[in-house]
Amino acid sequence: MARLPAPGSVIVPDWHESTEGKEHLSSILRKNRRRVFGLLERPVLPPQVAADTASYKIFVSGKSGVGKTALVAKLAGLEVPVIHHETVGIQTTVVYWPAKLQASDRVVIFRFEFWDCGEAALKKFDHILPACKEKTDAFLFLFSFTDRSSFEDLPAQLSRVAGDVPNTVKMVIGSKFDQYMHTDVPERDLMAFRQAWELPLLRVKSVPGRRLADGRTLDGRAGLADVAHVLNGLGEHLWHQDQVAAGLVPGPQESSPDGGQG
Amino acid sequence: MAEESAAGAVHLLCLAASSGVPLFSRSSRGGAPSRQQLPFSIIGSLNGVHMFGQNLDVTLRSARTEDSAVVWKTFHDSITLIVLSSELGCAELRLERLLELVFGAMVLLVGLEELTKIRNVERLKKDLRATYGLIDSLLVDTELAGDLTQCVDCIIPTHGPLLQEALAGFAEEMGSVFASLVAGGRVVVGTEGWWRLGAPEAVLLPWLVGTLPFQAARDYPVYLPHGSPMVPHRLLTLTLLPGLELCVLCGPQPPLSQVEPQVLERWWQPLLEPLRACLALTPRGIPAGFPLHPDILGLLLLHLEQRRGLFTVDLGGEEGPSPSARRRLLRSFYVLVTATHFPPEEKAEEPGCPTGVPRACYVVCGAAAEGPQGRQDPGAGLRLVAVQAGPRRLLLLVSARSPTYALRGLATRTLHALTPLL
Ligand SMILES: Nc1nc2c(ncn2[C@@H]2O[C@H](COP(=O)(O)OP(=O)(O)O)[C@@H](O)[C@H]2O)c(=O)[nH]1
Ligand SMILES: [Mg+2]
Repeated sequence: MARLPAPGSVIVPDWHESTEGKEHLSSILRKNRRRVFGLLERPVLPPQVAADTASYKIFVSGKSGVGKTALVAKLAGLEVPVIHHETVGIQTTVVYWPAKLQASDRVVIFRFEFWDCGEAALKKFDHILPACKEKTDAFLFLFSFTDRSSFEDLPAQLSRVAGDVPNTVKMVIGSKFDQYMHTDVPERDLMAFRQAWELPLLRVKSVPGRRLADGRTLDGRAGLADVAHVLNGLGEHLWHQDQVAAGLVPGPQESSPDGGQG
Repeated sequence: MAEESAAGAVHLLCLAASSGVPLFSRSSRGGAPSRQQLPFSIIGSLNGVHMFGQNLDVTLRSARTEDSAVVWKTFHDSITLIVLSSELGCAELRLERLLELVFGAMVLLVGLEELTKIRNVERLKKDLRATYGLIDSLLVDTELAGDLTQCVDCIIPTHGPLLQEALAGFAEEMGSVFASLVAGGRVVVGTEGWWRLGAPEAVLLPWLVGTLPFQAARDYPVYLPHGSPMVPHRLLTLTLLPGLELCVLCGPQPPLSQVEPQVLERWWQPLLEPLRACLALTPRGIPAGFPLHPDILGLLLLHLEQRRGLFTVDLGGEEGPSPSARRRLLRSFYVLVTATHFPPEEKAEEPGCPTGVPRACYVVCGAAAEGPQGRQDPGAGLRLVAVQAGPRRLLLLVSARSPTYALRGLATRTLHALTPLL
């Protein structure tokens, strides 16, 4: 039985709202907007609060139109696409996220590198899937609450995309949760899926957040508050997986029969 | 706004040549994208009159009314593009080049085969949606001039040789000969191979990079309309700093996953300050200290053999027209001198016109050319002057206080001063 970390057991959940957390968040904000970083840049913290960086590659997978590109944009604090345009080729997005570890009381800066690609490109070009999978630390499997077929496709996707990659984090993300009123995926089906697969599940709304006084620019802090649970959830499973790989905590194989959690 | 709705519109239509089925249409109004579409009956008539000519072995190329122009062009007997423009000073030269570039953009993103062997129109329509962003950027106001001049828009960096060296080394490690640094759609430095890219991809690739939304990196399939219209290549873009992208054109290798942060850091971290300095150069394009006469409000410098250009209106001079008005004036003047005063670029070195002898012409803008009613027209009295010497052509927008008799001297001296840059 796979042992998943319980939510909040690895990362202090609401730390980003504390004084210390806010101080760290200022390294990824600039004038209340999210800062964007080039590949040669990284957040700079004052020397007294310096923290280590933990880098992870995350492949975002799912049917065309489920909201992969919108999710990544939302996590990065960028404008989410309103009109659906199939993503061309591969695009990667880097998101920095400071978080506090429960066990050591240390702060780490997560560097998530999201790999997003269009379904048509994936089918047309052979090089795309291997590049996305190479050395990936996590798979996000998206389905949309408004598209039942994207949910039913999950098992096939799990085996097609990640079947040959054990020991990586796999998470399921239900997108368009703001449209839950019109959902095609009732809670009982989700429960059944979770019991069968024992994968962590997150629900997201990738909709534009609050804007600053100018009415145009996205409010960086508000945007971060919207997605903190996703970033913490991701960080939690990735950090835990590293601990298991390093033999610091028991993993799936060593776990006692009664020790597993859903 | 009343002013905006009065401004001209551009409508671009794309149809399957044999069946006349519309594939897409894009529009702009007042220099911004617009949702407005032409009625289906007008699309039908515009296409019909062109087809009618074709049946009589007559190629209808363009038509004008008092305030608008239409240009038709069919590519590979398969795709017909029609552009209808009511923008001020809409010239056939501009519209013809626009259609060439639009078709180039379509090949760049979907490949020539799909455009010439249309098997499934619905599928083609869907695939062509990927070109809308790039095509829209060709219809709206832009800070670049390459769509018109067919020369690659460049920035002249302060530390050119240093960046050049790093770029060459990095490209070699990537196993590609095509690499460049691009800021705001302009090329800062390129490898020798990059500069050998043919038209239109040399203009389109940096233009494309300038229009895409922010991403850390991309692996973007592209066909090269001139160099490889059937077999896709991969354009890798790596955002070193926000606004400054490293571009590498390659085949199946290397995978994007191989371009790790450590590789980038090894090559580029030591050059962080020169790279930052490039960003400070947009939109001006040339180093801040470069001496230019204060009467110069904007300039367009082209090297017609290397097919590179420098287009800037951010040279100081707070008074006078807005940057976009300055750009519009220089663009119209370019069309004028290219259509009437200087031979087209392709024939720049025809025997009979000895190179090295500068030739020049100028115009003075009339009052109230496009100024809003009741206010002093900031464009009135501005001077536009062009000189050509050897492979270089320079167009200047000059303040109204500059005496006309000195324009030619000013232009010749400025061209001389700019010659080491481009
Ligand atoms: N309401 C709502 N719309 C969403 C959400 N996520 C994506 N969308 C919309 O769904 C469409 C497809 O999203 P996109 O991210 O481009 O899909 P992709 O093909 O998986 O990358 C776009 O029009 C988005 O605006 C969401 O969480 N809520
Ligand atoms: Mg997408």
